[in-house]
This record gives sequence, structure tokens and C-alpha cells, in this order.
Amino acid sequence: MPVNPDSKLEVTAFDWVPDFARGFVRDLRPRWACEEIGLDYAEHLISAVNRPADHFLFQPWGQVPVLNDGGIRLFESGAILLHLAEKDARLMPRDPQARANTLAWLFAAYNSVEPMLFELGNVDIFSTDEEWAKLRRPSLIEFIQGRLGRLNDAIGEKDYLTGEFTVADIAMATVLREAVEAGLIAEQPRLQAYLDRCLARPAFQRALAAQLAAFSEDAGPPAA
Amino acid sequence: MATGARALPEITAYRSVPEFAFGRIKDIRIRWALDEIGQPYTTRLIGGIFEDKAPAYLADQPFGQVPVYKQGDLILFESGSILIHIAEADERLLPRDAKGRGRAISWMVAALNSVEPMIQTLVVLTVKGQGTDWLAGAMEAAKPFAEQRLARLSQALGERDWLEERFSIGDIVMIDVLRNASPQLLTPHPNLDAYVARGTARPAFQSAMAAHLADCAVGEPLPA
Repeated sequence: MPVNPDSKLEVTAFDWVPDFARGFVRDLRPRWACEEIGLDYAEHLISAVNRPADHFLFQPWGQVPVLNDGGIRLFESGAILLHLAEKDARLMPRDPQARANTLAWLFAAYNSVEPMLFELGNVDIFSTDEEWAKLRRPSLIEFIQGRLGRLNDAIGEKDYLTGEFTVADIAMATVLREAVEAGLIAEQPRLQAYLDRCLARPAFQRALAAQLAAFSEDAGPPAA
Repeated sequence: MATGARALPEITAYRSVPEFAFGRIKDIRIRWALDEIGQPYTTRLIGGIFEDKAPAYLADQPFGQVPVYKQGDLILFESGSILIHIAEADERLLPRDAKGRGRAISWMVAALNSVEPMIQTLVVLTVKGQGTDWLAGAMEAAKPFAEQRLARLSQALGERDWLEERFSIGDIVMIDVLRNASPQLLTPHPNLDAYVARGTARPAFQSAMAAHLADCAVGEPLPA
């Protein structure tokens, strides 16, 4: 059972977030990695509404997750995924080229795919009713579709990005989930099948359940 | 040449780019890291950013970007993964102890996923939005995200020379990201300005940029 309060491996997560963010907060990524390899972790839950001042010492943006692995502290989910993956060949294969492919695809998720979706979030979530957002959207969507098309081609007939499941699939699948609501995955059949395959893994399902179980209604902002 | 001499690493770079991208291409990061450790390399020039790439190139780099890194039989894409690969061989770029390694990689991922997207969005909007009705609104919406990240980064850096006690690949990426920020974004944070000046004054940055500029011309037209 990976969530274990006695574990020396501690993942910091929020005790409450608004509905739209539930199931999408990035502690999901290390939780999923731990579940894949049966690695116990303790939860350190903090308030998203009143973030503890000392949290910024460990995470410059005040976000989650942070990992504390027996005194080794990491921030940024990509760095945390790499650290966890080094512990187990099921997440990071040992063969030099297979390891190189895993590293490359993990960074592709973080630096070549997810950044486009941040701007889509600006347009679709934070500015959805603005006139400029309606005008900007088509060219942004076209750009994202181009890159997702390339990704669709690169996956080809493979089950996972490098052939076998690795930590890179945790990164890419959690990134691609951010594009589902806009309908951008459904139009790429191989990408859709790939994402379905990743999200059907029992370890993902357990990680998602663990994130949702950590939210407490009492921890939200006071009702207006 | 003596038998058994190891082949030099090879990176790909563009032959020509549009003006907005001039001096901002990601092979600079790799050249900088290699020059820091005195590792010679060769370059293989390919067309431009928007030129259609040959299928063989897309097999090496699914998005058709640069750099691709080859050393002997090993091949990598994505600048973040290439930097980890190079840095693992030399502790001047990445501490060997787990704590130092974790911090350096955390900062590198932070630069790639928490700072670069916010700065890159502003660059992309300025280019793609030129003459459109949505540019002003999109810029107003995107700027606060970049400003907030730089304010937090400024606090985290404080009075230190580098992000941690020692220079690392985290600094290479962060400085390369920050030097592409508009002056208005950096001016409120003198310590970030000084940090960029300190980094770009390093002989290895200077030689990397000179080599990059010797390979890359301005001239590629923007896509229609």
C-alpha cells in the first residue's frame, strides 16, 4: 500500500483545491510512479488557500509536489519523477539507449508539449469570456494540433513512447489529460488509444484515488 | 588518428532562422555545457525552424526541432535530456551527491517547465499576434504569469551567484531562458539581471554563442 504515514519518502500535496483542479494537481505524477513500483510514501498535506511561508523555501512557486526522500529534497514534478525512476528499472530502463529515450520523452512532455497547453489554459480557463481569447484560440489550436499530430505519428504502432512503459509515459499521459477537454486528443486516434492505455493502468487509478481522497471540504476557503 | 579514439559528439543546429528566433535556439544550451567541460563536438546543420523535415530526421526528433545529440551509437533529443546525459559525465555540471544532484535537476526542470513557457508565450504572442486584434488582450493576460515567476525566482536566488552554491546545468538553462525575457520583465529584479550578466560573461557561454552564430544566419521567412 503506497500511502504509508510511516514512510521516509514524503510527497507534499494540497488538502483542498477547487473542483476544476481535482485529479489534475501534479502530486498525481509522483503518486503514480510510486504506485507502479509499490514504493511506500507518506503524504504531507498543506493548505492551498494559506500556503505555509516555509513551503516557499522548498518550492519557489509555492506549488506542489515537493519530495523529501530522507533529507534529499526535490521540487518540480519532472525532477521528482526522474529521482523516483532511478530507483527502479520498471520506470527507467538500464540499457543506455533505452534510458536515453526515456529521458528524451520525459523532457518532451515537459518542454515541448505541456507549455502549449499552459497557453490553452490561459485562453480556455482564465480568460474564456474575453473577446481576445475567442480570436486567439483558432491559431493556438492549430499549432497544438500540429504538434500532437507529430506525437501521434511518433507513437505509431507502439504501446508506449519507448516501446515499454516508463516514467516518460507518466509525464506524457498526465500532460495529455490536460488537452482532453478541448477535444484535442480524440482527433488523434493513436494518441487517444495511447492515453487510454496509460490511464487504464491500475497504478494510475490508485494514484488518482489517493489524490482525491486527500481533499477535505473543511480545508477550502470560507463560504462567501 | 589513434585507433580507438572516441568519436566526437555531434549536435544538430539550424542553418537559418527568422529574426525573432535569432540567437535563441536551444543548441546554445548544449554548446555551452560542452564548452564548460572542454568537450569538442561537431555540428550537423539542417534547414530552418519551419522547413519540412525529412522522415529520417523526424525519426530522431519527433517534432523536427534541434538539437539532436549523437555520440557513437547513442542518440538523444530534447535539450533537458541531453544536458543530463552530458552532465552525468562531469561533476562540474552536476554534483555527484544525491542532494546536490536533486537540487540542480530541480532547477533545470523549473527553468524548462515553470519559467520558460511563461516567457516563451510572450515571445510567440508578439510574433504571431503582430497586427491582430487579440495581441493586446493576450499579452495582458499572459504577462502576470511571467512576472509572478520572475518575482519568486528573484526571491529564491537572493544574493547568491548561482541558484545553488555551485554552478550547474540548472544555471545554464535558467540563464538561457532569462536572457530571452524582455528587459521590462527583468528590470524590476536587479539580482536576476546581474545573474544573467554573470552567466553570459562566462567564457563557455561566449564561445558557445560565437559558434552558434557562426552556424546560423537570419533569413528564414515566417510561415504564411
